Amino acid sequence: MSSHLVTITRSLVFVCLALLLCAALMQGLGFNALLMLTSVAEGAFLRPGAIENSLRWGLPLFLSAAGVSIAFRAGFFNIGAQGQFYLGAIFAATAAHWLQGGAPLLVIPAILCAGFLGGALWALWPGLMKLGSGTDEVITTLMGNFIAGLLLVWVTSGPLKDPAGSGQQASSPVLAAPYRISDSSGVSATTLGIALGVGILLWLLVNRTAFGVLSGLAGRNGTMVRWQGASSWRIGLTSFLLSGGLAGLAGAVEFAGPTGRIASGFLPGHGFTATLVALVANFSILGTAVTALFFGGLAAAALYLPIMAGLPAAAIEVINASIALFITARSRLVDRLAGRKETSS
Amino acid sequence: MIDLLIAILRSGTPLVYITLAGVIAQRSGVWHLGLEGIMIIGACATILGIVATGSFALALLIAVLLCVAASVLLWVVIEKLRANPIIAGLGMTGLGLGGTALAVEAIFGSQATVSAPFGVPRIGDSFGRFGVLSIFVVALPVVVALFWVLLRRTRFGLRLAASGEHPFALRSIGGNPSAMRLAALVIGGVLCAIGGAELAGGSLQFFAQGMTAGRGFMAFAAVVFGAAHPVAAPAAALLFAILGTLGIRAQLLFGEKVPHDLLQAVPYLTTVVGVWLSSRLRGGGDGGGYGELRDR
Repeated sequence: MSSHLVTITRSLVFVCLALLLCAALMQGLGFNALLMLTSVAEGAFLRPGAIENSLRWGLPLFLSAAGVSIAFRAGFFNIGAQGQFYLGAIFAATAAHWLQGGAPLLVIPAILCAGFLGGALWALWPGLMKLGSGTDEVITTLMGNFIAGLLLVWVTSGPLKDPAGSGQQASSPVLAAPYRISDSSGVSATTLGIALGVGILLWLLVNRTAFGVLSGLAGRNGTMVRWQGASSWRIGLTSFLLSGGLAGLAGAVEFAGPTGRIASGFLPGHGFTATLVALVANFSILGTAVTALFFGGLAAAALYLPIMAGLPAAAIEVINASIALFITARSRLVDRLAGRKETSS
Repeated sequence: MIDLLIAILRSGTPLVYITLAGVIAQRSGVWHLGLEGIMIIGACATILGIVATGSFALALLIAVLLCVAASVLLWVVIEKLRANPIIAGLGMTGLGLGGTALAVEAIFGSQATVSAPFGVPRIGDSFGRFGVLSIFVVALPVVVALFWVLLRRTRFGLRLAASGEHPFALRSIGGNPSAMRLAALVIGGVLCAIGGAELAGGSLQFFAQGMTAGRGFMAFAAVVFGAAHPVAAPAAALLFAILGTLGIRAQLLFGEKVPHDLLQAVPYLTTVVGVWLSSRLRGGGDGGGYGELRDR
């Protein structure tokens, strides 16, 4: 239990350090750093309705971040959450397009399943390459992000183009109201239920099944798992598919929920932030939920800052980037701050 | 035809400089995913520097200093704080993109682009239609040749390769892989500054938020596709630039029938196929020999 506390303290120390660094940078550039920090807190959590707004961004983040956690736990460096998220959204939108006019009770689950399938497929080929030939998954999943982004541009300006749409950003038609799982606030019984259900299932999977134990072990010591006779193919492929599928599900939730359509380049930082959430939470499912809410709050604050406080939204980007820069650091200083001596892990 | 050649050279040059930065980092054992961020710092500093000082040389100096500072920061995080290079690199990319956007908003308010009265010096009218090319374009073959000599024909280059491929071997002869990586990242910082300066000041003469538009990652793809070879990787980058320029031309000529977006994916697809084939040929490889470095 105390090791959990250490992990949590460690993550908190890094997040605080990043906030301080960003505040210093803002002060140096001539903005009021204190105003920025209080505005971020206000926009994320304190203002009435802010929590709901944070949930709107935090829910899809949680799903994608849980997926990233599954892959990282098993030792697979899947940084392709963005691409898997896009493919999930594309598949969901395609399913919605084909099933127009069906009973919502059937169509909505189909949309969500299609999203999961799309994301899983986009993680399948890096997984097969990794397990079959040892192709580095960092490269394949990273390239997959860009290919998926271009695929999204093509789909939204071609096959699924909104005929009434105009303006700069190509997008699909808005999903009809009966098929939406939430309004633009993104918070409804359905979206909360999905997140809660996924959270519980994943917690059970990670903490109460053989797969959870073996995949966690595979991430730390793959040789040992092989020696124990477990199939690295089965663990690996399951991790990849589940990881991509969850990001794809997030894409489907985003499509059928708050956004209501897919648009070229929508939510561009989603995958990166989801990876951050997983790293800050140190791949624990419960931690991911809490951390996703925090980063969802930052995303909500990014919209709040320019309008209410007159501060540039890029400040949030800098906060996220600073956290990314330092979160994996294993400095003795931070370990001491977190009350831990140098360990081998 | 000459127009096309000029267009290719102009779009390819920034990419090639960034690719060289990626090559030297990769050979020293750092997967450089911060190229995008350091490049945009270079682009931003060049344009803001020209506006502030009125001198291109001074502006370039500022850009170089800032890019080197960012590279040193990345080195400290990776080597001294032992952070994961992939995540730290992505963080540096975010820091560059967000930081430059912040800087522009701090100085100019909510202004999307900043224009400079002039850009990188051009080679001049005595070269006819090629006179619009900047000095960095013309210097490119020389830079690549010097780069090849540095990496393949000097003691430094050998030690650099050792620090990436077999750090233990380098340590055993008293070398210091960490110091080699610092040198590689600093040289890469200078190259990123030049690449950024050429991007913003070569033919455009303005800075826009996020104007690097994924070039850092395309350069990383070229590094991987070109197996971090000092000539093959820049050649791959040039190939990507040719594909991009031809794609835009084809769409201008034939309209919507050409799926331009999908053509743009060709560099990434070829990289994936190339990496997959090379790992197959190696037979279930160990992540290009960088496994030890990546998973530290």
